[in-house]
Amino acid sequence: MAQIPAQTLHRDPQLFYWILIPITIVMVLTGVLRHYASVLMTTTPKKADIKTIREQRALAHGANLRNNYHVLSRKAFETRRDFLIDGFESGAYLKNPQQKGQPPANPLSDPNAMEGMMGMMKNNMAMIIPNTLIMSWVNAFFSGYVIMKLPFPITIKFKSMLQAGVQTKDMDPRWMSSISWYFLCIFGLQFVYVFLLGSDNAASQIAQQMQAQQMPVGPMAPGQDPSKMFKAEAENLAVIEHYSVLDGVEERLLERIKV
Amino acid sequence: MSSEQELQINPVVGDSIVHNNKVLTNLHSLTASLFGVSAGILGLESYYGFLFYIVFSIITTILFYTFQLAPGSLAEGRSVVDTSRYYRGALDIWTGGITNGLPGFILTWTLFYGLVRA
Repeated sequence: MAQIPAQTLHRDPQLFYWILIPITIVMVLTGVLRHYASVLMTTTPKKADIKTIREQRALAHGANLRNNYHVLSRKAFETRRDFLIDGFESGAYLKNPQQKGQPPANPLSDPNAMEGMMGMMKNNMAMIIPNTLIMSWVNAFFSGYVIMKLPFPITIKFKSMLQAGVQTKDMDPRWMSSISWYFLCIFGLQFVYVFLLGSDNAASQIAQQMQAQQMPVGPMAPGQDPSKMFKAEAENLAVIEHYSVLDGVEERLLERIKV
Repeated sequence: MSSEQELQINPVVGDSIVHNNKVLTNLHSLTASLFGVSAGILGLESYYGFLFYIVFSIITTILFYTFQLAPGSLAEGRSVVDTSRYYRGALDIWTGGITNGLPGFILTWTLFYGLVRA
């Protein structure tokens, strides 16, 4: 079988200076800008009044006791449990006890909840706006050029994506246009940001999306009735069957030092 | 003794695991870009490039392991290939870096292949 000769294209070396390098520099700088924008835009959490904090802390106290009961002795655990269950069931920690049992307020009308949503919106905006801007910039200025060849073969399906704006039917799909270099930059520039900004940077949008997906739900999700949450927590505490890590520690110690 | 109780006696702290993973991820994403540079300069194509990447990222992990983890494990009287002191699973440390560094590798590989060869 005859070997198909590899396609060669003679390209102006100026393409590198006027397309490849500008796109790369712009992508890196947007990442840096995004990092500093997110640093500037992080709002310090608003000071909550003492009743709200007490409500949240009491709930967190219950959860901590439930998770770490094994480090307490039985007596200590039972004292704490009884105290917390008493408080939870009588509603001593509620922010406004007279609202007990009423349906929760609409989260849209609550200004605190609105603030959280605004923060999320800001984050999303910081991701979407630069992306659309740069993509339209690349499309407007650099479409129609073939700048590089991928070092690995890919199937013909990628041709329409990689060679957008280059209507040449027989061209090997390995040749890529400027827009595909842009895509490579989106995914692969993480190491540059690690190098420039340290590992805690907010520059990479991929990492940010991952973060947004696994954002932990706070102890006080908006729109939930706190008195019900207290009831549930009291129930959870009541059903714990206590044991301590120190149970049978003498046997374990002797087993370890036995020769 | 149940495994849950064992974990409570010798707890694995979540924060430390996250930190360890982050250090390893950074190491891999930085070295992967350097591997991409070298693969591009060598002019490797298709399978050879990916093989180069996989082999060298495993070598990186082995180096990291022998210099950072193994002395501590041996001093504690564990076996040489015991990673449970630092990481949750053995597979995590051996293969976790490969996927993390791949985009950076492809980027620099393409860039230097394009600059040098094509």
